[in-house]
Amino acid sequence: MKGYRRYFFNKLGWFAITFVFAFLLNFMLPRMMPGDPVAAIVARQAQGMSNSTGVQAIYEQYTELFGTNKPMYEQFFIYVGNVLKGDFGFSFSQYPRRVTDVIGSAIWWTLILQIPAIIVGWILGNMLGALAAYRKGGFDKVLMPTSLFLSSFPPFGMAIILLVVFAVQLKWFPTSGGYGFDLIPSMTPNFLRSMFIHYQLPFWSIVIILIGGQAIGMRSMAIYELNADYVKFSRFMGIKDDRIVGYVFRNAMLPQVTGLALALGTVVGGALVAEIVFSYPGLGTTLLTAVTGQDYPLISAATLIITFMVLTATFVLEILYGVIDPRIKATQSD
Amino acid sequence: MKGRFSILIALLLVASMVLSACGGAAAPAAPPAAEAPATEAAVEAPAADAPATEAPAAEAPADANALPRNETLYFNGQQWGPVVGWNPYSNSNNNAMAIAQQDNARVIMFETPYLYNMLDGQQYPLLADGPFTWNDARTELTFKIKPAAKWSDGTPVTAEDVAYTWATHVKYNTPTGAANIDVIDAIEAVDPQTVVIKAKLDENGAAVNPLLVAAYVSTNYVIQKAWTETLEARVAGDPTQLLADPAEDVVYSGPYHKFFADDSKVVYVRDDNYWGQDASMWGKLPAPKYLAHTIFKDNAAGTTALQAGEVDVSQQFNSNVQDLWEVQNLPISTYLPEPPYGIGASLPTAFFNLQSPGLDQVCIRKAIAMAVDYPTIIANAMTNQSATFDQVPRSLMNPTAGEQATFDHDAVADLQWAGNDIEGAIALLDECGVVDSDGDGWREFNGEKLSYVATCPNGWSDWQAAIEVVAAAGEKIGIDITSNFPEWSVYQTVVTKSDSPLPAGYDIFMMWSDGAGPTQPWGRIRKLMSSEFIGMASNWNGNWGQYANPAADELIKAIPAETDPDALKEMYTELVKIYLTDIPSFTLMYRPQSFHTVNESVWTNYPYDGDGTNPPVPPLNLTDGWSIAGLYNLELVQ
Repeated sequence: MKGYRRYFFNKLGWFAITFVFAFLLNFMLPRMMPGDPVAAIVARQAQGMSNSTGVQAIYEQYTELFGTNKPMYEQFFIYVGNVLKGDFGFSFSQYPRRVTDVIGSAIWWTLILQIPAIIVGWILGNMLGALAAYRKGGFDKVLMPTSLFLSSFPPFGMAIILLVVFAVQLKWFPTSGGYGFDLIPSMTPNFLRSMFIHYQLPFWSIVIILIGGQAIGMRSMAIYELNADYVKFSRFMGIKDDRIVGYVFRNAMLPQVTGLALALGTVVGGALVAEIVFSYPGLGTTLLTAVTGQDYPLISAATLIITFMVLTATFVLEILYGVIDPRIKATQSD
Repeated sequence: MKGRFSILIALLLVASMVLSACGGAAAPAAPPAAEAPATEAAVEAPAADAPATEAPAAEAPADANALPRNETLYFNGQQWGPVVGWNPYSNSNNNAMAIAQQDNARVIMFETPYLYNMLDGQQYPLLADGPFTWNDARTELTFKIKPAAKWSDGTPVTAEDVAYTWATHVKYNTPTGAANIDVIDAIEAVDPQTVVIKAKLDENGAAVNPLLVAAYVSTNYVIQKAWTETLEARVAGDPTQLLADPAEDVVYSGPYHKFFADDSKVVYVRDDNYWGQDASMWGKLPAPKYLAHTIFKDNAAGTTALQAGEVDVSQQFNSNVQDLWEVQNLPISTYLPEPPYGIGASLPTAFFNLQSPGLDQVCIRKAIAMAVDYPTIIANAMTNQSATFDQVPRSLMNPTAGEQATFDHDAVADLQWAGNDIEGAIALLDECGVVDSDGDGWREFNGEKLSYVATCPNGWSDWQAAIEVVAAAGEKIGIDITSNFPEWSVYQTVVTKSDSPLPAGYDIFMMWSDGAGPTQPWGRIRKLMSSEFIGMASNWNGNWGQYANPAADELIKAIPAETDPDALKEMYTELVKIYLTDIPSFTLMYRPQSFHTVNESVWTNYPYDGDGTNPPVPPLNLTDGWSIAGLYNLELVQ
């Protein structure tokens, strides 16, 4: 137990250090891009304004409001203070909306699209990969090239194909949006049905690609494990097949679990393609607009969420590794 | 054993399928409810301030969560990204359908005293009663407010509202205030119905710019005094807060107001008590009960929805628009049945950085402009949705009949060029001694190879295609032009900084010009040629290449005060001559004020060329300026 505690605190320490540096970079990097984000807001305000003093006054008003006229270190400490209070400030690109409001209204769509898609893609892919490794023969011969084909498909291409085939040609699904173009959100069966139908194409555009990649990884790992010495030894020992299969898949799963955790950590930016192709609401396009519009507060907040999710996922994973595979804990806590 | 495992796998597969289906069905139910658009209002607007008409629940359709298709007019291309606010004092609402104070002001929710009609150049009364009049000295403009005009809370629109709106713009230095303070001295209410706009006077006692004063009445909304006072009290007189207020409780005078807005759409509902149904204005209500705009992520998604009949009025660039009816046989049309399909209004322009080595020479600028293959730009970048320079030879005017009549065509004919004239450009360069003396294939000026970067923002695909054609023209005449496409955030910062020379990499760059409006073509010419913008740290007006010509400046200054048509024609002709001689910039294409493509699956009787309406309804999406008259003419197909 003492060894495990040491292992835990060791990981926690690294988590904290990484987080501090990531936080610093999240703040610094967007602000190092060339260009002036306040100019974009002034542009909106100053259309048609021909007196330079008026424009200059507006410019100064906003640099003061956003604090971009202060030295970087001063901006950083103000930012830290505000973030600790849960205040990420105004979004530049959607001013006067606050960053928390922008993210709050968009993130649910992303999470609800991405998390089930990643989990389903992961489960299906791993099962198919395991099945291919175990059954070999015809199943493997079909699955392997299919998986390779799917996993090498650009997400954009897959989304467009699904859109053209199932929405434009066959008209089985709608072409765009998160719910019917003629609906107002409400908890009615009609609306929920519409959401479900609109969900399908973006969802499968992510799942299908994921299945391929996961299946290939799982298949290779499982084949490797099936031929490992401990499997042969277990067989010589007369241990039952299903017990051996249990060992095999527990070992083969380890890298796959890592992949899952990392994938879950990056859901925020990951649905960008599905969002654009299907005009699906979400944080991916919000983040893209923020980057192109140099919306520092929104970029920093969104990347902070991504950083936090990835770090937390890897931290939880490291802790779980200790449980799943005691060898790792033993090595690390030495 | 193998059999049991297969069954297990099969069961898991089925389970995961079910899981995926459930994940799709149940999970997304939460967000829209949680992100009800009223959150900002809840924080900012005290419930007591909300007018009675702002209760969408009371006006919900029979099936509360569905908009009846035959009562709803769907748009695309106007609203990109979620609506941020409803504040008519601010330009930061990202509420394109409701708030756009411009030459053709968008008047579905807020109204201007007059409506500009780009087809005949007239300003027609909306809130105003009859035409406005100038005093003899052209220093005071007077108009009356219609007795029937009412706010959404039922109170009458008065001259005091007009005066207080202006006073607020000035007091809080709003964009409208700052834009007009140099030309408007005061707006006063003589009596409850009569408004007088007093122009700012120059040293001679004449109005500084009567054109801009007259444009004010069709460009800027009238905002209710009582609501403005509520707003001022709420923000305690803080100008920044005043502009940042989302104004969910705003009182309006137009026919539509907020019904619903979230990250994926915005819907406006008709106010059935709208004053405009009075015989002194429209005499009836606009046909659609709802105006809805789905927020698409890009043009492709918008076009797909238009094809599917989910969009009725499309204000976006639909590439090869004619394919929609010629190839796909859809009931879709544009204002004109043939190219250019719409009325060109603005002149997307390539500016020369006049301080780049060599580009300070007229002959080099002219050679580049002559060599550019404009037909290719128009065919590829605009898919023929622009008049060609054979149809409308270049000047400073847009293709509308009104503007084309402002100058003497014959007098400038020998200065115009249609483009793709490689031989002419080469001869011109040779003639002025700009030759390739070292044999490397590129010409030199003052011993330096002519090498330029042509640029426009990344992702602006039609502009990028045009810039590539400009670059290709350079190669044909021995001038090395490469293209570069920085992000808009960087590009705009660089280009609008007119208080210092443009940096390297911005030798030839694209920007827009004014479209159609009550001050045109004067306003466009000023922004293309006037040196008054040089020195501005944040120049959102024009002349980004920093061209200075005292003769042009003088003409630009004199035109607003001139009333004699013959003298005006002479002055405009002279300006066109200067522009086509000096070539500080050159037009690459004509672009419509708005793209106006309509789908007649549900609604019909949209405006089209020769539709017999009088005054003619312009193709501006039934929302801008006089084009809102089209909303009253719409009919259901079935």
